[in-house]
Amino acid sequence: MKVLVTVKRVIDPYVKVRVKSDGSGVETANIKMTMNPFCEIAVEQAVRMKEAGVVTEIVVVSVGAQQSQETLRTAMAMGADRGILVDAGVDVEPLAVAKLLKAIIAKENPQLVITGKQAIDDDSNQTGQMISALMGWPQATFISTITVNGDTADVTREIDGGLEKLTIKLPAVVTSDLRLNEPRYVTLPNIMKAKKKPMEVIKPDALGVDVTPRLKVLKVQEPPSRSAGVKVADVKELVAKLKNEARVI
Amino acid sequence: MSIYNAPLKDMHFALHEIAGLSEVLSLPGFEDVTPELVAAVLSEAGKFAREVLDPLNRTGDTIGARLENGVVTAPEGYRAAYAKFIEAGWNGLGADPAYGGQGLPHTVAMVVQEIWNSANMSFCLAPMLTSGVLEALRHHASPEQHALFSPKLTAGEWSGTMNLTEPQAGSDLSAVRTQAVRQGGHYLLRGTKIFITWGEHDMSENIVHLVLARTPDAPEGVKGISLFIVPKFLLGADGSAGERNDVKCVSIERKLGIHASPTCVLSYGEDKGAVGHLVGEENRGLEYMFTMMNHARLGVGVEGVGLAERAYQHALEYAKTRVQGRVMTKMRGQPSGDRVTIIHHPDVKRMLLSMKAQTEAMRALAYTAGAALDKARRHPDPAEKRRSQALVDLLTPIVKGWCTEQGVEVASTGMQVHGGMGFVEETGAAQYLRDARITTIYEGTTGIQANDLVGRKVAFEKGATAMALIAEMRALDAPLAALGADFSAARSNFTAAIDSLESATLWVVDTYSQSPNAVAAVAVPYLKLFGAVAGAWVMARSAIVAREKLKAPESDREFLTAKMNTARFYAEHILPQARAHADTVITGSASVLALEEAQF
Amino acid sequence: MSVLVLAEHDGKQLKPGVTNMLTAAAKLGDVTVLVAGTQASEAAQAAAKVAGVKKVLLTEAPIYEGSAAENLAALVLTIAEQYSHILGPASAFGKNVLPRVAASLDVQQISEISAVESPDTFVRPTYAGNAMATVQSSDRIKVITVRATAFDPAGEQGAAPVENLAPGPDLGLTQYKGSELSKSERPELTAARIIVSGGRGMGSAENFKLIEALADKLGAAVGASRAAVDSGFMPNEYQVGQTGKIVAPELYIAVGISGAIQHLAGMKDSKVIVAINKDAEAPIFSVASYWLVDDLFKAVPELTKELSS
Repeated sequence: MKVLVTVKRVIDPYVKVRVKSDGSGVETANIKMTMNPFCEIAVEQAVRMKEAGVVTEIVVVSVGAQQSQETLRTAMAMGADRGILVDAGVDVEPLAVAKLLKAIIAKENPQLVITGKQAIDDDSNQTGQMISALMGWPQATFISTITVNGDTADVTREIDGGLEKLTIKLPAVVTSDLRLNEPRYVTLPNIMKAKKKPMEVIKPDALGVDVTPRLKVLKVQEPPSRSAGVKVADVKELVAKLKNEARVI
Repeated sequence: MSIYNAPLKDMHFALHEIAGLSEVLSLPGFEDVTPELVAAVLSEAGKFAREVLDPLNRTGDTIGARLENGVVTAPEGYRAAYAKFIEAGWNGLGADPAYGGQGLPHTVAMVVQEIWNSANMSFCLAPMLTSGVLEALRHHASPEQHALFSPKLTAGEWSGTMNLTEPQAGSDLSAVRTQAVRQGGHYLLRGTKIFITWGEHDMSENIVHLVLARTPDAPEGVKGISLFIVPKFLLGADGSAGERNDVKCVSIERKLGIHASPTCVLSYGEDKGAVGHLVGEENRGLEYMFTMMNHARLGVGVEGVGLAERAYQHALEYAKTRVQGRVMTKMRGQPSGDRVTIIHHPDVKRMLLSMKAQTEAMRALAYTAGAALDKARRHPDPAEKRRSQALVDLLTPIVKGWCTEQGVEVASTGMQVHGGMGFVEETGAAQYLRDARITTIYEGTTGIQANDLVGRKVAFEKGATAMALIAEMRALDAPLAALGADFSAARSNFTAAIDSLESATLWVVDTYSQSPNAVAAVAVPYLKLFGAVAGAWVMARSAIVAREKLKAPESDREFLTAKMNTARFYAEHILPQARAHADTVITGSASVLALEEAQF
Repeated sequence: MSVLVLAEHDGKQLKPGVTNMLTAAAKLGDVTVLVAGTQASEAAQAAAKVAGVKKVLLTEAPIYEGSAAENLAALVLTIAEQYSHILGPASAFGKNVLPRVAASLDVQQISEISAVESPDTFVRPTYAGNAMATVQSSDRIKVITVRATAFDPAGEQGAAPVENLAPGPDLGLTQYKGSELSKSERPELTAARIIVSGGRGMGSAENFKLIEALADKLGAAVGASRAAVDSGFMPNEYQVGQTGKIVAPELYIAVGISGAIQHLAGMKDSKVIVAINKDAEAPIFSVASYWLVDDLFKAVPELTKELSS
């Protein structure tokens, strides 16, 4: 079975994000980037399935700028077999990403697509669901287990307050949640081998997809900073403030 | 607690712009090593350090290694981390591909070592010693010995140790007494070795001790010492670890720092004698150890860089979050306005900058020495090979001595940034200072490095390499002048410091032949002088490169202007010490030698 | 403007947060709520009583068992073109269904909005809330998920009409195999939305029951300061602080914690910090959003009780 995994290059989660002073976005130039942690889990899952003999080939795809090749190399060092970069620049919206992937899926014909449940930069949590809608495939989002049985797969999904079990027909799209696995550290020999694995670079035009954004970012701001604290007189006032002002309970 | 993030941008800058990575990668044998590969390696090493090694640093310090019934247990988590470390193949990074190593340049291995040291110095002493053993075996072991030991050591399944000193010997190895008596195809060793880092532990399947010992008919002194391989477990017929050899850990030291790494007293041959295998020929052991010395000493210098970087990151995090006091207004120094984080106080800023500047200078100098080592080994042009060897010989005691002394100072400043909270163990700043303190002592104290520098390196060749380097430094004057008025003080300080180094070097060359003691008395100030000026040399180059790169439209302004300013700070705040050191060198030996023992 | 809201419910009741989402919806136009499930009429009646709701559509069919993203999206698509906006909650449920609707309509969804600026302009958190983006949509239908905590819950009204809507197609892509809902076990410290922590002021391990009772009332995790751990009141795994766990929940309640800098380092990024301490000079108050100077043995039980009423 062939698996297609998507990966996104994002700002390293340990880097403190800074909003640009002109409000046009977030500083990304010259900042440490890494593979989106949920994508890492997705790649790990595919590699484990290959090691278990369920999967025969892992194709890893990224949509982004040229530098996303580094992210694809990391995925290949983890165990993916080959990489495809859709060189579409930065800030491609999830819908456009899903359309690009639909075009690639049409060429590659995978039985299973694994995406991360969300990217930690724009926090959209859409791409996997959108791919599955465009393909007319089943979806299982936020999965914590998956077992393939011939042309179906049993999955456990993480839902609010518990777990849900589904059997999905293949081909399908699944999106990884945190508990699906703990990604491996890539090994030094595999980093060196990864640079010899095949990498294809495609332009969005070649896939016939219009990636023009549908959302216009009017401004990006820092969240309101902690305002000076308020002394409350008693428990009643405290509860009222928490409910009506802070709205956290 | 701060979280360690490998300073990849700074590392790449030092690697590419100062150490000259592209030249290293063009050497024969590195055809497959591309800058992209190096970037991927550093990035993954940084991740591993951040997520696996750094979190264990604090607990390792608190728990420490434990000895019970001759068995040493590494602190909780270390065994698992070591397993992950070797599984990921990090152990063989710079090792010979013939035995399963990755054969990456020494320069790159050095950067990765800095990463490990920043995250967890105690831990990384184990793989560092293993690579030291491999380095010693590289040139002198027999093919049979290589076949038995090198692949396992390269993989890290077995770890290595260095057994040099003994209770009565200290730094003077001529006093080594451990006996080795030939018996059939091997030797039986008896004696006690001390200060054996990771001499016994539970992280690897077997431990390969390299031991200096004397055969019964060996000449006195350093010419009578042989080198032996003594495995903790004897090897079975299939080469796997079998029966226990007659070597045991009788105690581990209680010490100021690096608590997670057991510093062992090893007793050889208390029962029937420890089985050892001679490396190379008898009586040439010390000579063999010397062949790996540049490698090992540069490695300890890098420990200084790593700890300085870690202490800096820790202090920076604290300074950016700790709210205390208010900024002074222009009038009469009265505090006003809101309470601020302490990084807004000029003196705290100064301390942080001094940490940053010293660390960057140390790093660039250490990587430069690493690149020289690679070129000395592999450069196809014999003249360039010789030149590089001379440079690495000269720089090795400086990197070892100066970077470790600076490392202690930077870690101490890191504590100072924390104020009283730094003196309290809980904030974690104290550990970096305690851990750093050993680095100026082991693998040759700063005094020994300084004696090596003035004697074997500078005086021996009449200052030739030092003077060539000084000439290179002087050539920077024109590009420094082009940096403009902001750099005029920095530039004149640099020129003055080079003058100081030159006159002190001439004094060392002139004086050494008549009075080596006079030179030895001021050797450490000379080493510090050389370090400070060599640091200025790489920082000046940083500033010049940064200015050049700023001309590009898409340049990283924030980073590059900080590089320029940090270089300027170095020249204005740290480099002036050079003059003082030079004065001490030229005028200060008489007062040292004047006082008789009884007068102390 | 006509707004379709996909309600999350358990068959009988609307899930918490739906009424907050309806507040956001009401700012955009006339609100129709779609309540679909295997059995959902009670939930539909509940939806009809929420202020601002003009109409409720009720669809009941076995094909909506479980989360049923594919069939639910297909159902929404049968009526989607009648609306200018389609909203769902930014919960595991809503996040599962809405992007599927959006992609099928060729619309770029706007995820997890925290404010409505105008019918086509919204604010949403990105980078884990570290950057708030204001975005304007050019799509003909706006598909949106809503962060419930950012909006007030809507009040009640007289019942709006409930109409039946025929089930959509059964795509037969997935088979629901059941779910396991966890009991009221407390969440993990680092994943908790709310944390209640106790310090040395708690006085004893026994007294931590006060903290636990309050935590259970809030669905919160329990934490402790280093001082409380050192005093043996709580095991080390509960420690919040520089040497313990670093947390940033939406609400952090510090009880009897003076606020040593090591503790502050572990929780200062919490969105809302409440401090309860009898010492009016306690340093914890410097980072608190709300602070109460009071005896914790009186205030904490009172707070637990107040939250129950």
